[in-house]
Amino acid sequence: MIKSLKNFLLVALASLMLVFGTTKIAVSKTIEIVMAAPDWPPTRFMQEYFNTNFQQSGDDEVKLTLDFIPWGDFYTNVAASLTSGEQKYSMLVSDSQWLGAFIEGGYFQKLNKYIDADPELGAIFDDMHQGYKEGYTTYPYKSTNYYGFPQFPDNYVNFYRTDIFCNPDENAAFRAKYGKKLPCTYADWEIIVWDDIFDINAFLTRKKGEMMAGKPLDDDIYGMAYQAGKGYDFSSMQINGFFWQYGGDIWDESNQPNAQAEGVVNSDVNVEAFEKYLDLLGTMHPSHKTGNMDIFGIQALYLEGKIASMVNWVGLGAPVVDPKLSKVHDVTGYARQPGTMQDDGTISRWANLGGQPFVLTTWMTDDEIDAAFKIIKWWLDFDTQIAAVKAGGQSCMKSIIYSDGYNALAPWNAAYVASMDWQKDVWHIPEFFELLTQQQEEFDKAITGQKSAKDALDSIAAFQQEVLEEADRIQ
Amino acid sequence: MNSITSFFGWFLDPKRRGPLLIAPAIIILLLVNIVPLMWSLGLSFFKFRANQMKPPSFSWFYNYEKMLTKENIWESLQTTGIVVASSVFIQMILGFALAMLFAKKFPLRKIILMLVLTPMMLSYVAVGIFFKLFYEPEFGLLSQFIQIFTGEMYVLLATPAGALLGVIVADAWQWTPFVMLLSLAGLVSVPKYLYEAAEIDRISWWRQFTTITFPYVRSLLLLAVLFRTIETFKIFDLVYILTNGGPGTATETIAVLVYRMAFQYFRTSNSTALGYILIFIVIVLTSLYLYVIKKRESAEI
Repeated sequence: MIKSLKNFLLVALASLMLVFGTTKIAVSKTIEIVMAAPDWPPTRFMQEYFNTNFQQSGDDEVKLTLDFIPWGDFYTNVAASLTSGEQKYSMLVSDSQWLGAFIEGGYFQKLNKYIDADPELGAIFDDMHQGYKEGYTTYPYKSTNYYGFPQFPDNYVNFYRTDIFCNPDENAAFRAKYGKKLPCTYADWEIIVWDDIFDINAFLTRKKGEMMAGKPLDDDIYGMAYQAGKGYDFSSMQINGFFWQYGGDIWDESNQPNAQAEGVVNSDVNVEAFEKYLDLLGTMHPSHKTGNMDIFGIQALYLEGKIASMVNWVGLGAPVVDPKLSKVHDVTGYARQPGTMQDDGTISRWANLGGQPFVLTTWMTDDEIDAAFKIIKWWLDFDTQIAAVKAGGQSCMKSIIYSDGYNALAPWNAAYVASMDWQKDVWHIPEFFELLTQQQEEFDKAITGQKSAKDALDSIAAFQQEVLEEADRIQ
Repeated sequence: MNSITSFFGWFLDPKRRGPLLIAPAIIILLLVNIVPLMWSLGLSFFKFRANQMKPPSFSWFYNYEKMLTKENIWESLQTTGIVVASSVFIQMILGFALAMLFAKKFPLRKIILMLVLTPMMLSYVAVGIFFKLFYEPEFGLLSQFIQIFTGEMYVLLATPAGALLGVIVADAWQWTPFVMLLSLAGLVSVPKYLYEAAEIDRISWWRQFTTITFPYVRSLLLLAVLFRTIETFKIFDLVYILTNGGPGTATETIAVLVYRMAFQYFRTSNSTALGYILIFIVIVLTSLYLYVIKKRESAEI
């Protein structure tokens, strides 16, 4: 009797284990989200922080795997993957200007129905800064068709050497020569316009062996540098800002098919703005003549102490304060980039929006979409965003950027937040890369002295007019 | 059962072994080479972009006409022509001179020969990065050397002429050893007794060169010109890494332009048409060379 009871209990236990065990296996699975991402600190942080801090919820385990691709190859690799139909990625970090190309190709998921159905996602959208929302999520630009969430918002700030700009002797010498103060504090930089940079660069360009801030220089040094690279968008981003600050414009994609390229891109005011950009470039480090003074080029020069100041993306700020990478980690101040004085005495600071959204692809299953939204909600959650900002990242959620103490989280935050209302974005249309590449080539011809500013802009305008007419975007 | 046996009997017949053995290679060649080639030829007669969902629309010779009337394509072909002519010329002169040097025996010849051959064993990417650093104005060796005399940084890649020179020098550096190797093969095959007879007849060095040495290596030199012209015509990696086609478009060779058109602008059918125009140019060049060789051979007979 005892033996049969024992057998019965064993069989019952085994049956229970079998039932619950298999049930568990049936509902619990791992959903892996593979995301294409540029290889740089903001995305590296996302992977590391997800691995240690993401709280699993529900029956399925969510796994995030970022496929890191170097910036220089990012667009080409992503475009090749998408157009080949390999369907490798569930999510992608996308530059905002790629949206049109990949939406028209049928690769990016429209998000409106998910946002409408999920109040949490709706709240995230309502919380985004308007300019960044338009840039990162809408196609056509500024429409109400939404495709992305902010992965890493970005804009320009001015990184400058406090040991030079705040040195009393240098200040006295500058005042004696130019009758004005060498900007030292954030407030000092607030009144600096591009015209002032001519004097600053002339004053700070010195040869090896000359004295600078009380010490002999062990290498040549130059003043401020901004980007003037031939690759990708490494001069357009800065030059667009000059156009807008002077009151000019690029082709207005939100006004199709009436907006024209000819007469706008090569307008007198754009020519004047571009000439100012080129004149100022002539006072900067000579590497601009090689087409390599891109965002990484000027960052390297700044970290090496070969330029006194740089206008660059906040996203490239983390290495500046890293003692292992930067000679100037403890002597850097941050301000808004200079602007252009207007007739009414105000300073225009328009700049090209940086940063990237992440998007969902159209071949995701329902389970993968649920998992992706869990990741998005986690990433845009208050605590995660604060952690990202502390690690050198940024946020464009209003509840975060306007919260108490935000500006103290990173040394460049005040300049970043103050610049947010001055951002416009470049085109989002599928033809963007063709327009961008030709524009970069023409800008480079002007930068290297092969063409005048007017000839370069005339050529750009004619090319854009032809491409956009062919694409039925201009009538 | 009988039918299976007879099928295998038919299949394994010694007459069919040859075709059967090469069939896998032919099938793979068809799948990965010929079919895509035909597909791209077909695409060149349509309007199509690989990154858009619009179906292709037939457009006859529109893409060819467009490519042949584009100013930037002619500029690019001109740039490619300059690079090919200059680089191949330098390679032929230096390659042959080096071969003449290495045809004679001297101490450490084999080790030096091995070192001289090293550049052609490197990848284009490695050579591109090496020369990019070499030309770098801040710390590059070239700039540092010129700075000794001028006191100023030297930016070779800043001007169109300088950038073209930079590309040509890098390409010639990498491929001169290839020309040298081919020439050397020709030089060592010249029978010694011809030189001995020439010495007895007190024939000058120049006469020996034009009547004995050069005729022996001429066909190999023409082969080297053919190989290097076709290869340099397709130059991409080196330009892309070294100058990215700049400054402006000064070094944008035709291969770089095809790449941009296909994989950056996604003008798929335009780029396939341009690709076929390039194939046509290479075939014409090759035929021209072969015609010249044949004509010389028939003249000699």
